[in-house]
Amino acid sequence: MISRQSLIVAKWEFLRFFKWKQQLISYVIMLGIMGAIFTWQYLVDESRDEYRIAVPAHFTIENTAQFQFQRPSVSIDEQLNQLMSSETWHAVVTEEDASIVVHTAAGKKWQQLLEQVLEQYFRQQYGLAQGLTPEQLLRLSEPVSLEMRFLDEDYKGDDRPEKGIALAVLFMLLIGLTTAFGQLLMSITGEKQQRVTEQLYAIVTPQQWIDGKVLGHSLSAMKAMFTTSLVMFVGILIAVLFLSDKPLPWHLINWGVIAWLVPFALLGILLCACFMAAIAASIDDPNTSGKGAVMMITWLPLLFTYLVIDSPTGWGMTVLSWLPITSFAAMPVRLAMVELAWWQPLLSLLLLVAMLYWMRRVAGRIFLRGMQMYGKEPSWADIMRWAMSRKTE
Amino acid sequence: MHITVTEIEKSYATVSAVCGVSFTINTGEIFALLGPNGAGKSSIIRMLVGMTRPDRGTIVVTHQQAHYDHVPRRYLGYLPEDRGLYPDKSVEKNLLYLAQLHGLSKAQAQQEMDHWLAIFELTERRKEDLKQLSKGNQQKVQLIAAVIHKPALVILDEPFSGLDPINQEKVVEFLKTLRAKGMTVILSAHQMAMVEKLADRMLLMAKGQVVLAGTLMDIKQQAQPKPVVVIETQQAITAVQLATLLPDYTVSLQSEHRFSVALPTTAMLSTCLQTLLNEFTVQSVSMQNPDLHQLYLTAMSAHQQEEIA
Repeated sequence: MISRQSLIVAKWEFLRFFKWKQQLISYVIMLGIMGAIFTWQYLVDESRDEYRIAVPAHFTIENTAQFQFQRPSVSIDEQLNQLMSSETWHAVVTEEDASIVVHTAAGKKWQQLLEQVLEQYFRQQYGLAQGLTPEQLLRLSEPVSLEMRFLDEDYKGDDRPEKGIALAVLFMLLIGLTTAFGQLLMSITGEKQQRVTEQLYAIVTPQQWIDGKVLGHSLSAMKAMFTTSLVMFVGILIAVLFLSDKPLPWHLINWGVIAWLVPFALLGILLCACFMAAIAASIDDPNTSGKGAVMMITWLPLLFTYLVIDSPTGWGMTVLSWLPITSFAAMPVRLAMVELAWWQPLLSLLLLVAMLYWMRRVAGRIFLRGMQMYGKEPSWADIMRWAMSRKTE
Repeated sequence: MHITVTEIEKSYATVSAVCGVSFTINTGEIFALLGPNGAGKSSIIRMLVGMTRPDRGTIVVTHQQAHYDHVPRRYLGYLPEDRGLYPDKSVEKNLLYLAQLHGLSKAQAQQEMDHWLAIFELTERRKEDLKQLSKGNQQKVQLIAAVIHKPALVILDEPFSGLDPINQEKVVEFLKTLRAKGMTVILSAHQMAMVEKLADRMLLMAKGQVVLAGTLMDIKQQAQPKPVVVIETQQAITAVQLATLLPDYTVSLQSEHRFSVALPTTAMLSTCLQTLLNEFTVQSVSMQNPDLHQLYLTAMSAHQQEEIA
C-alpha cells in the first residue's frame, strides 16, 4: 500500500510544475492556433466559388455547381484579352491540333477540379466517337468496386474508425511519456543540484520518496493527456459546428476501448516513470550526462506498436500486447482493431501490474544510491548491481 | 534520547574516515563534534542518521525504552552539511511540505511554522520565494525545517556556517531554546566561541580519531595548556626588547605596554617577573584562562606532533 508520506510527495510533485494560469493561457493559445488553421482553410477554400469558363461553340459540356461553361461569339484573342483585362472569364479553353489548351491568368487550386471535369467530358466524347452506348460509357466512368473480405471474424478491418482511435491512443501516450520524462528529469536532477536530498532522506524512506515522485508525475502526465484530448476535441467540435455542415463524429468514440485504455495508460505511464526516475537519480548534471537519452527507451513500445499497427492480428502485435513492458501501448491498440475475449486484456493488465511492482522495487534500489551520489555518476555496472541487490534502506 | 557509540569505524575506498570512535550523548544535552575538515564529523553524523552504517562497532540509540541502531526518522530533526530547499517555492510552502512529511497535520504544521517564523523574524516574508531571501535567512528557514516537528533529537551539521555574527548569536539562542524544550542536540562546528557558550559536552576529532572529549573543564584538564600571564608595564616596550629579556618564553606583544607570556610551568612566573622588574615598572600581572579556541589549537598541534613522532 502507498504510504501517507508518498501521497504528500505525490501532491507536491504534481503541483510543483502545475501553474494553472499558464496552463490555461497555453490551452487558449492552442485553441487559437487550431481556430486560425480552420479559419484560414475556410477562407482560402476555392471549391465554394463559381468560375466562368469560355469554351468553343461546339463543346456540349454541361455546367456543374462550380463551373459555368459559356460559348462566347468573340474571337479567341478577344476572349484572352477579356481574361487578362477583366473578370469576364476565369479560364478560356481552346483546341490546338489534337490537344486541349486551358488558358488562365495564373495557377490556382480550383484548376485541378476543372481538369477533372474536362477529362471526364473528353473521355465521354471519345467513347461516343467509338460508338459506345450511354450504359457502356457510364460503366467506364464508374470506379472499380474492389472490396477486401477478411475471414478472421475478430478483425474489425483497417479502414474503420477504430484505427483512428488506435493512432490517437499512441499519440496521447506519447504526450504522457514526454511530460513525465521532462518533469522527472527536472525534478530529480534539480533536487540533487539544490541539495534537498539529504534533508528528505532523513524524513522519508527512498521507496516512499520515489513512490510519491512516480505517482505525482504520472498523474501530471495523465492530466496532460486528458487536457490535450479535451482541447483537441473542443477544437474539432468548434470546427465542425461553425465551419462544416457535417454532423458531429460521435460514432468515432468507442467507449469500450476507452474503458480499457485508462488502466493500461495509467499503469504504463507509472511503469515508464519508475524506470525514468531510477535513471534520473543516477544523473549528476543533465547538461553533460548521456544517461538522459536512455530515459527515452520508454518511447520504444509506442514506436514498435506503430510499426505493426496495420497488422493487428499478426504475431508482432500479439507479442507486444502480452509483453508487460510493451502491453500498455499495444493492447489498447489491438483492442481497438481486433475483437478479443474479455480475459485477454485482463490477463495482460495483471501481468503489467506485476511488472510495475517489480520495476518499482528495482527503481527504489537504484534511487536509494543514485540520489546520494554527488559530483560523479555511477557506471552502468553499478546501476545493474544496485538493481539486483536486495537493499532498499 | 540517549546514544552510546562504541568503537565505530568507517572507511570509503582507501580513506579511513572514522577510526575506533566511542562516546555517549545524554538526553537533553547539547553535544558538539569539533574538528578540522576531514576529521570525520559528517561521517559520524551520517551513521547516526542511518544514511550509512559503521564498518565496525555499534551505535545504540535508546528512546522510551526502545533501542535502535540509528536515530529513527520520526524522532530526528536534521540539518545536513550539504543542504538546500526548493528555491522556487515560498518559505511557507517549503516549511508546510516538510512538516507534513514529518507527520504533522496541516493545522499543526501551520501553528508550529507561525511560532518559529515569529522567533526568527521572518513572518513578513513567508510568502516570498526562498531564492529571494538572503543566505542567512535561508539558513534560518532550514533550521526551522529541522525542528518544526518537535523531534527528540536534532542533528545540526555546521549550523553557523554562512551566518554573520548577529545571526550566529541568534542561532545560539535558538539552540538554547531547543535544550530548554528538552530536545537533545548534536552539532558540528568550527566556531569555537559559539560552541563554548553552548555545548554541555564535546568531542574534538582529528583524522577520524578522538583527540579530546568531555565537558569544557574535562578538556582543559586533558589538554594541559601552558599557563599564560598578561603583563602591563609603565614604560613602552618593544618586541625586540622582550625577545632579548625573555628568550626562553613564548611572548606575544599585544600593545606598547601590554604583552602575554606562555610559561613552561607556573613556577617559572617568579623568574620571569624578576627579569622584567630589573628593567621595567610592572603595573599589573594577570593569569589568562585559555579559551576553547586555544585548547583546540593546542590539542591539534599536540596530535600532529604525536603523529609525526
